[in-house]
Amino acid sequence: MKNIVTKILLVLSVLLWTSAGLWAQDGGSEATVADDDKSKIRFNGLGRTLMSQTSIGGDVLKADTNTIGRLTDGEFLLDLAINATPNKTSEVQAIVRLRNEFGGFFGAGMSVEVRELWARGIIADFIKYRVGDMDLAMSPYTLFSPDEEGFVNEPAIFQPLKEVIDYEQFYTKDNTRRLQGGKLDFGFNFGTILEDLEVSSFIARIRGTDFFTVPNRLIAGGELNLSTVTFSDSLGTKADIGINLIHTFDDLQSGNAVTGIRNTVATVDYDLTIMDKGNMALNLSGESGRSNIARAERVTDADGKEENVMLSEEDDTFMDVGLTFKLKKQKLTVSASFVDVGPDFFSTGAQSKRVEFGANKTYYNRVGVDRNLRQMSTFDLSRDRSLYTFRTADRLMAYDPRYSNTLPYGDATPNRQGLKFGVNYGSDNDKVAARVNGAFLSEIRGQGTFELKDFTLIKAATDINIHKFANWKNELRLTLGVQLETTKRGGVEIEEVDLSSTLLDVGLEFELFSKFDILLGAKLFSSEGRDYIPIRENFNDIQDFPAPYIADDQETLLGVGIKYEFKKDIYMTLQYNSFNSELGSDNPNNYDFQQLFVLYNMKF
Amino acid sequence: MKRINIFYLTMIFLVLGLAGCKHEKETFDGPSLVDRFGPFRVVTDLEVSQPTVDFEGGETVFFTAQFNKNVEWVLEITGSVSGSVKIIEGFSNVLDASNATWDGGTTELPLFRNEVCNVTLMIPEEAEFMGTTTVETLSGKQYPGSIFTAFEEELSGVDVFVGNFEFELVAGIRTGNAAEGESYYIMEGTDNVVPNFFVGLVDFKATLTGNNYFQFPTTVPEDLFFNCFMLSDAGPHGLGIIDFWVDRNDNGTFEEGPDQNFRVPADYNLATWEGWRQISHPMSETGITQEDLEKVVAIRLLLISDMNAQPNPPLQVDFGIDYMTFTAGGPLEL
Repeated sequence: MKNIVTKILLVLSVLLWTSAGLWAQDGGSEATVADDDKSKIRFNGLGRTLMSQTSIGGDVLKADTNTIGRLTDGEFLLDLAINATPNKTSEVQAIVRLRNEFGGFFGAGMSVEVRELWARGIIADFIKYRVGDMDLAMSPYTLFSPDEEGFVNEPAIFQPLKEVIDYEQFYTKDNTRRLQGGKLDFGFNFGTILEDLEVSSFIARIRGTDFFTVPNRLIAGGELNLSTVTFSDSLGTKADIGINLIHTFDDLQSGNAVTGIRNTVATVDYDLTIMDKGNMALNLSGESGRSNIARAERVTDADGKEENVMLSEEDDTFMDVGLTFKLKKQKLTVSASFVDVGPDFFSTGAQSKRVEFGANKTYYNRVGVDRNLRQMSTFDLSRDRSLYTFRTADRLMAYDPRYSNTLPYGDATPNRQGLKFGVNYGSDNDKVAARVNGAFLSEIRGQGTFELKDFTLIKAATDINIHKFANWKNELRLTLGVQLETTKRGGVEIEEVDLSSTLLDVGLEFELFSKFDILLGAKLFSSEGRDYIPIRENFNDIQDFPAPYIADDQETLLGVGIKYEFKKDIYMTLQYNSFNSELGSDNPNNYDFQQLFVLYNMKF
Repeated sequence: MKRINIFYLTMIFLVLGLAGCKHEKETFDGPSLVDRFGPFRVVTDLEVSQPTVDFEGGETVFFTAQFNKNVEWVLEITGSVSGSVKIIEGFSNVLDASNATWDGGTTELPLFRNEVCNVTLMIPEEAEFMGTTTVETLSGKQYPGSIFTAFEEELSGVDVFVGNFEFELVAGIRTGNAAEGESYYIMEGTDNVVPNFFVGLVDFKATLTGNNYFQFPTTVPEDLFFNCFMLSDAGPHGLGIIDFWVDRNDNGTFEEGPDQNFRVPADYNLATWEGWRQISHPMSETGITQEDLEKVVAIRLLLISDMNAQPNPPLQVDFGIDYMTFTAGGPLEL
């Protein structure tokens, strides 16, 4: 592994040394550079008011006299962003958050905090830098925040609360991770074969030391992306190739901790345009690499000199290669790929989940006579921000096989081998836009048996713009999404696994009059069967399997509401949501929720 | 044309060159699900490899059984006369010579005698299961080390001095309930006549072995271990002390005045256990040197009554001792 890292650094050095020409990156979409030398200060931000009333009912409350039947809560929040460009090559920004909880008076429940702080600019018209908070993503196997489970094609009625979660946890459509550190970017231009080369590197602290047993944890990495010239004008062939390296490590000089982790992932990704001619394009793309996870110990030798020694190490590889075929006029894209992600492949930057199963829920975390933990549901996933995190974990996080069993850790889910496919048709502005994604995967190494699990995942979604069929001025849109997932394993009776789940999203948006929408939506989820969920210890080794996990779950989330958009990014919505959870027939833990809320959201 | 060749070469290199994925697949992750959750079934019952065993002659005996899955099992061998217990534990689906062999050793004192032993196989997770068999021992295990005395014969008055200065000590060989063999040495008494903590002492001289000095398997204090079995009735006020005496005036005999004693720092608090227990410690704990170990002339046992805690009149205190032996390299392993 160390050899690979050394080789990559060597290749990088050689490329830098032999580069024919240099040009500075202006930062693309990242850097905002003032048009002139005059300093500017801008104010923008986000304001939000959310008030909700949530009531619980169902069998779980029978004989339970402790649980309050109705909760009222809310918040008033202002994120004030102060952005300054003191000159044309520098920019700083701070977001100050003022927050007051519903019911808070004269300071009680009120908080003032800095939500974001960064500075960025360009050095010598060549190197772009950024320090402070930043959102970064590399490849799906190195640094990436995989999408959360429980969503296929979220109905518009449920999106406002989901957007609150995304905003609070810094989730972006680019699957970036929120980090705090420093970043450098620069690029080169070449004359022949290579067209350009971009280099990006960063280092960030993802955990602070407690000065005792917990050391600082840092993550450092970089990518080198090069694009070739077009090799064949008639076919349009060209290649984009990237080298990615990321290293997560505990600083054993911080605090009194003597042991810590080391996780290194090195990959090569590529997108080769085999043909891009007229209406058609064919690309071969993929990524391959290797990971290393090690536990280091700080030791002192006889001379009093400190050094880190590796206590144990584990390596594994992955490969993801596929073809993508596009018919541009028809707006049709078909892709298929083969994936092979080793059982011991570990990439903390790519496998850390957004949902933290096991976290305390905001709404009725414990209910019933015995005050048992309430089972998480689509109701919680769709609105409870306390279940979400942007932290990176030093081991594979817990997951719920009902919502995601095939790829619980995104593309980088370890111990998977098989075929993935996807079909995309249309765009948001077309009458119909549709997409189908799926995976037929199996384990590479068994868990608790030599028998291997087989996974089937189908996700389909469509947006039907009915108003475009009828030439209506006001919008009427039907959105549908379905996810079908099965997990099967043979063997003797004890080893058998047979778990299936279905998630159906249905949404309707009707623009009654200009900017005023009536929203209807439903999320229907069912899960049935059994599986084994491993308990993991260090190095992601499976410590044990608790009792077989039995799923017999029916969930129904219905919503009706209105939304008025004052102008772009400023809206108010009033909604009533009803949720019912049946955990098997006559289960005393069955429960239901009713929630009425109003949300005012303003970006300025 | 040249450019397009470079492209195809790049493509072949990336796809094939990076396609090698080898993973560890020879085992599976985590505990076996069958072991963890499968129903338990006995495939073959508990059996013994031979009905009798001569440990002294170097023989061993092993037990066999087979289950349908790996389980935690406990094999308990109990001497029908001595009451000695040997416990062998394991996690497997098979008991055989590799994991269920008995060499005559014991887990709980006393040592096994020549007797019929009852063997019981138990599975803690399967409370209803129990396998049984018997095996007869024809001779006991030969333990390593230099035995000083096992108190199986009457001791010569010249070699043993009983310090019954206050006429309240009973000391001597007692037959029955020994840790090894048939008899052991007992010291008992009350500190009632002269209440000064001291009940009595016994000096065992090296001449018991036929030599002026003890002949140890090694004279390196860190490597030389003193071992004995000590009996207590868990009475609350007794202390036992063992001293090792070194001949300081080089006259080959034990003389308390000029000679020097070495003692394990901690006394043996007789209230802390009941029955026989093994006492083992390296001689280095006493502070004795390698040179001193070549001139050890006596071992002294002292019986102390803790008068600060005794009621009035004081209760009897006592302890027994058996199988005093020295081993090299480590404590006596039963």
